[in-house]
Amino acid sequence: MHGSILNAEAERATCGVASHALVEATLAEIPGLRDAAVPRGVAALPPRFLRHCDEQTVVGVRAVLAAIAAYPEPRPSFAEYGVVASPCQAGRIATAQSLAMLRTAGGVAISPHIVPQCSLHSVAGAVSVALGMHGPNIGVSGGQHAVSEGLFTSLTLLAANAALPGVWLVLSGWTQEPRLDASGKPASSSDEMAHAGPICRALAMALTADAGSAESDRPRIALHMPAKLRVARTGLQDRSAADEILACARALGTSAADSWTHTCPWAAEIRLVPRGAAGEAAESFPRASLQREAA
Amino acid sequence: MTVTARKGGTGRVGRSREPIVITGIGAVSPLGHSFDAIADSLLAGRSGVRAVDPDAFSREKHQFAAAVEAIPTPPDAACVCDGDGFAGLTRLEQMVLSPVAHAVADAGLAPLRDRLRIGLVLGIGAEHLKMWELDFLAGGKQVFEPSRDDTLVHRVAGMMRLRGPAVTVAAACASSGYAMALGRSWLDAGWVDACVVGGCDVLSPTALAAFYNLRALSRRSDDPSRASRPFDRDRDGFVMGEGGACFVLEPLSAARARDSRVYGELAGVGMSSDAAHMVTPCSDPAQAARAITQALADAQVAADAIDYVNAHAAGTPVGDAAEAGAIRRALGSASDRVPVSSTKSMSGHLISGAAAFEAVACLAAIARKAVPPTLNLDHPDEQCQLDHVPHVARERRVRVTASNSFGFGGANLCLVIREAA
Repeated sequence: MHGSILNAEAERATCGVASHALVEATLAEIPGLRDAAVPRGVAALPPRFLRHCDEQTVVGVRAVLAAIAAYPEPRPSFAEYGVVASPCQAGRIATAQSLAMLRTAGGVAISPHIVPQCSLHSVAGAVSVALGMHGPNIGVSGGQHAVSEGLFTSLTLLAANAALPGVWLVLSGWTQEPRLDASGKPASSSDEMAHAGPICRALAMALTADAGSAESDRPRIALHMPAKLRVARTGLQDRSAADEILACARALGTSAADSWTHTCPWAAEIRLVPRGAAGEAAESFPRASLQREAA
Repeated sequence: MTVTARKGGTGRVGRSREPIVITGIGAVSPLGHSFDAIADSLLAGRSGVRAVDPDAFSREKHQFAAAVEAIPTPPDAACVCDGDGFAGLTRLEQMVLSPVAHAVADAGLAPLRDRLRIGLVLGIGAEHLKMWELDFLAGGKQVFEPSRDDTLVHRVAGMMRLRGPAVTVAAACASSGYAMALGRSWLDAGWVDACVVGGCDVLSPTALAAFYNLRALSRRSDDPSRASRPFDRDRDGFVMGEGGACFVLEPLSAARARDSRVYGELAGVGMSSDAAHMVTPCSDPAQAARAITQALADAQVAADAIDYVNAHAAGTPVGDAAEAGAIRRALGSASDRVPVSSTKSMSGHLISGAAAFEAVACLAAIARKAVPPTLNLDHPDEQCQLDHVPHVARERRVRVTASNSFGFGGANLCLVIREAA
């Protein structure tokens, strides 16, 4: 059993980030990632496991493998970890190709892999299966609020399941959605695909119920839920999911205070508390966010 | 307020140990769109499986499903979308908005939306795939020209003027059950005052073709209403359906204060993963049984206190046998006495919406004091030995139910739903 990640009034929750890794790949690089060796010291994937997977699954699984390789020793067992994966518009290339085939050849041409490998839960399912994780595996969001929904769901899982030692959170998306031709094939030139074209980005974080001490050398993620809703939902955020993922990943690699704060559409605030930051994580929230509306 | 930890089960931690109850139901299904209509159909043993327009499915040999003929318009004043606006939505949008709006109206929450933090969790396993496909079939090019549109959960929250957290979750065929679990956790944590949870799905040519090519669908096209036959030795796959259900969850004290009808309590949740294969159900029932055991412990209910198990059993040869093993392992000797049925024999498999729809079946069993049957269970498979309820409903007092849901990616879920105190 692990302790609560909720504070006494349950308006704040804090968890630790025990390890993380960012993986990026162009369209041209993704085929190589399907068959690449796993990092030294990390359990091998099942044979040809990533062959039929969506691009965001490939990059997401690679990000988890890299984060496991970077996990501080002694590395724990992840067998009881949960998995939350929050992609952004995953499966679009395969879906476009399937629809083009449906029109020209009919249903007989539809791949049986399209549903299991290109649905919202595909990344989470693949991480769970590939790495033997028996906690809940959940796909989340699928859209521009992937970061908000992914972090919020991960913290919910940790708050709700005291027996859950940790959650692997995978956030993923494209820097720009690949242009597709009428057959669903990426329309970028080979040079664009290799160098300047869309980049598929995934950030994997091992979130632990144990947030560590105040002066921990482990970054923490802190959530503040306003007691009353202060604003109406604000619609799409300025930054794309891929940009927000990059900002979070960069902040994880620094020790700068106030390095990354994220506001959910429902006014909850999620803040990264860098490693070594003193004081309770939740205290670093701006006071304004603690103001309550009159009942 | 204090932090308290439940003893046993998953050890949920929150500021409240209050029961979380269901006070509103909205549904769209092949068996009706209201709680009473669905309960009538389930207990009468009606099949919603029928022949469908072959032009809709690009497959000559697969022309049956459990389809929804007309999606009910949201009740007046429940959302900002009037009848004309509703008619202009896609079928998936209608399929989701309608039960959300009906659930909110049923719970009497519509006038309170500006004062309460009402969350929304939708279990939709393949929203983008379906939205792109519906657009493509209507002549659109969204899949080739991506946009940054909001996802459905945020659009529905906007149309419903719900201002709490809004999240889409997916766990394949268990998606809407995971949505129920997540919403309950938000209430436990005190992050919302009420939460609308559930999920729905729509039939589509791509999904039908993909499952058919996977050899997961029944091929009994000569007799559609007898094609869905969970636990039967002659089962040959599932029958796809569409629809689902949404619920309003809130703490019991809030429901009592508003003098709301309480359908039942969402008393326990268990979740696990097989971590074995992306598609094929795991033949080892350990993790599925673990989800059931967790849910019972979370609800602080003994196995022999269960009055009814609504099985996931979709009618696939491997999946049904594996689930029977999981039920036997989790319930032990009580499995000889606990009635088990699969309502997918009547509703078909509603995919993302299945878990929520089957929660309606559990509530119907509690309200009507009868266990719905498994249709077409002519010859129970020896590998599926349970206390089956074949063909006709069984009258009995039902206080505590368990509902299983399993999905691709090895996702396992069990919900314990019981009579409210």
